[in-house]
Amino acid sequence: MSNNQITLKGVKKSYGGRVVSDIADLALGRHGVEGLIGPNGAGKTTLMSLITGKISADAGEILFFENGNRHDISGKKLDAVARLGLVRTNQRIQDFESLGILDSMLLSVVQPAQETVLGLFAETALRQQAHPAINRYLEAFRFSDPGGYALSAGEKKLLDIIRCLLLKPKFLLMDEPTVGLPQDQTDKVMEVVREAARDDGMSVVIIEHDLDLIWNVCEYIHFMADGRIMAQGTPDEVRTSTMVREKYMGEGDA
Amino acid sequence: MSVVTSALVLGLIEAAPLVLAAMGFTLIYYLNGFTNVAFAENITFGAFFAVIFTSILGLDFYLSIIPASLLSGAVSVLTYLCIFRPALRRGVGPTEMIILSVGLSFALRYGARLIFGGDLYYFDTVSPEYYAFLGVGVTSFQITALVLVAVLASLLYVFIYRTRYGEMMRALANNEELALASGINPTLVSVLIWFIAGVAGGLAGVFFGVFSFVNTLVGWNLILIVIMISIIGGVGSIRGALIASVVVGIVTSSISLVATPLYGEVLLLVLFIAFLKIRQMRARA
Amino acid sequence: MIDLLSGYAIFSLSTVLVFVALATLLHLQFGLAGIVNFGVVGFWGLGMYAFGILLLNFQLPYFVALILAVAIVALVAFVLGWVVLDLDSQAQLVATLAFAAVIADLVTTEKWLTKGVVGLGTVPHPFGGAQSALWLLLILLVLTVGVIVYARLLGRSPFGRLLAAIRDNEVLARNLGKDTSRAKLIFFTLTSAGMGLFGALSAPVRQFLTPDLLGPGVTFSVWIALIVGGKRWPLGGLLGVLLTIFVFDFLIETYLRVPSDWAQIIPILKLMLYGVTLVLVLLFRPFGLLGDRRQPTSHL
Repeated sequence: MSNNQITLKGVKKSYGGRVVSDIADLALGRHGVEGLIGPNGAGKTTLMSLITGKISADAGEILFFENGNRHDISGKKLDAVARLGLVRTNQRIQDFESLGILDSMLLSVVQPAQETVLGLFAETALRQQAHPAINRYLEAFRFSDPGGYALSAGEKKLLDIIRCLLLKPKFLLMDEPTVGLPQDQTDKVMEVVREAARDDGMSVVIIEHDLDLIWNVCEYIHFMADGRIMAQGTPDEVRTSTMVREKYMGEGDA
Repeated sequence: MSVVTSALVLGLIEAAPLVLAAMGFTLIYYLNGFTNVAFAENITFGAFFAVIFTSILGLDFYLSIIPASLLSGAVSVLTYLCIFRPALRRGVGPTEMIILSVGLSFALRYGARLIFGGDLYYFDTVSPEYYAFLGVGVTSFQITALVLVAVLASLLYVFIYRTRYGEMMRALANNEELALASGINPTLVSVLIWFIAGVAGGLAGVFFGVFSFVNTLVGWNLILIVIMISIIGGVGSIRGALIASVVVGIVTSSISLVATPLYGEVLLLVLFIAFLKIRQMRARA
Repeated sequence: MIDLLSGYAIFSLSTVLVFVALATLLHLQFGLAGIVNFGVVGFWGLGMYAFGILLLNFQLPYFVALILAVAIVALVAFVLGWVVLDLDSQAQLVATLAFAAVIADLVTTEKWLTKGVVGLGTVPHPFGGAQSALWLLLILLVLTVGVIVYARLLGRSPFGRLLAAIRDNEVLARNLGKDTSRAKLIFFTLTSAGMGLFGALSAPVRQFLTPDLLGPGVTFSVWIALIVGGKRWPLGGLLGVLLTIFVFDFLIETYLRVPSDWAQIIPILKLMLYGVTLVLVLLFRPFGLLGDRRQPTSHL
């Protein structure tokens, strides 16, 4: 079980008069691997963007607790939040056009002390130091050209997740990790994520429309609609909730 | 009080060519989403066309405005069809488009320089009459320019926001696929927009030339202010460009009442850089 | 060697070397980090005038004045960078252009300091003696090679990788915890100070400083050289300068005997051809002669 937690109090965000996020009181990360589900437009991705500081909230307080430390991350910048160990994988495909697969991974692994204007010869040491971690992922996941670029959409998505895992985050937010990934790769990703949650105490929150994955992987689930948290509980509790059925699973797209 | 009225009157006069230039520049940005630095040469060419018609062909100044502005419109369309459209089709990114337009700007400017040399040209066939307006001395040209600009800017505004073509253009700028699906011919609308932008730029050059002089650097000296105005007005907003150019005109003339022109420019540019930072900081908060 | 190089040839070669250095520094800013700096002449000119003023007006020792001039440029670059680096490329373009215009204006107006259009001079060479101009050329050569070597090493270092990542997708880089604003600011300050250093060393090359040296043609020449050569390559600036500035400012002006009424047309023709070349390169070979640089790390 992890010691990491995110709490949100009175967090509000609206665009042009439309409230897209209205979170009265929410605690994420108490249960290891958690799920965040809800219909399209419920505000799940916006919630993640608010937590990581990609967008700033109109009001409210967001706190991040890791290993007994308390950080007020409301209004903090994206990169500052990531450096605290709170990292998010992207829903849409994001890549560095000119960086190869290994370069992308090295970018994740490198320490700020090695990344300086005068650190012209730090590359050799960096590669040696990064070797075991990177190799582990290259063995677990098969890229068609590991010495080249991520070619397909699936490879780019996978690379995005691996980049985040290489940061050894304390808290990982995953925004629809299965979209664009083949089933066998999805299974492997989840295996690696669960391993990190178990061994390193990493907390995980997954947004997914693939409910089978949610019921299988998550220990606790938050259900969201219209920018609010509507229901919370174990997979069984949420699955049997009439409200969740009406608002979400009744739609037929699940 | 007199300082305020002078600043206002002189500011409006100063703003007159700026309004046209800023609207023309913003139209292109709005349609194609890139900064066209070569718009500077549109301004310059407009002024030179008018010089050719008046000084060399001996046409009446007011009459010469018409062919001069139509010709600048044609030049604008030509740059679009020969350079910018092919570049956009090849997928050249916004930053590279800026550099491309800088290249075109230099090619045209120094091409014009080869023909016209570094001399200053004046509209010397006409001599202005002087009036006092709210206690400020103004010339008949300045009043004509002000009225013409007001009329043209209003027409342009009505065209963009109130007519079917304006609607088509805005549809095209927002979503090309959707525009195509609804039966809009993108090439035709684009050519029309570039033509109007060129006419506006050319007229700006003519009026700027009447107020002072014409040389091959007229447009280049103006373009920085024009791009600034479009940024202050909210990039791609024609309404914003209209308001911002009037504000910048008044600010510039207020500064020039208390400082020499070069200090005025320094102050304006520093104010602009500060404006960028303040807006960025406010956006983040 | 010395016989082959006339005084004018040394002057021209020195100028060409300065442009190679500026184009390489612009490769670092634009080609590597994606910063749109259209104020090259501002940093270069500020370095040149700051050095001239500190040396002549304030009578500071040569190398103290040099270091102080570069420090002034670094400070100004830091402030400007803080303002513009997180803005989009259009705003960066206008703000840096505006900065260069401000420098040119102030050099013209502040006659008490710069002597305005009358000109500030004479800036002496760093070493005296009969071969003083040649010594200056050698210093410039060493420093220019230094900049190219730095660019080459940086491109393969972790910081170079970070800059490429920022250029490609800044939000994603920040997502990985990279303080991109800080990285850009440090890098912009350093490279702009480099432009200031070559500006300061251009003062003794020029010897006599006038505001007309600070026209937009300088920035444009540096840009055209880099784009023609290849913005992604440490040698792109060198290649581009050899094909453009070297041909016009060295070969033609030094060795080609042109009739005197042509002499005035050549600089204008040059800038026009630069413009045409820039358009053609961007349309038909957008990454310049050396092409795109995509060499992924293939093994650890």
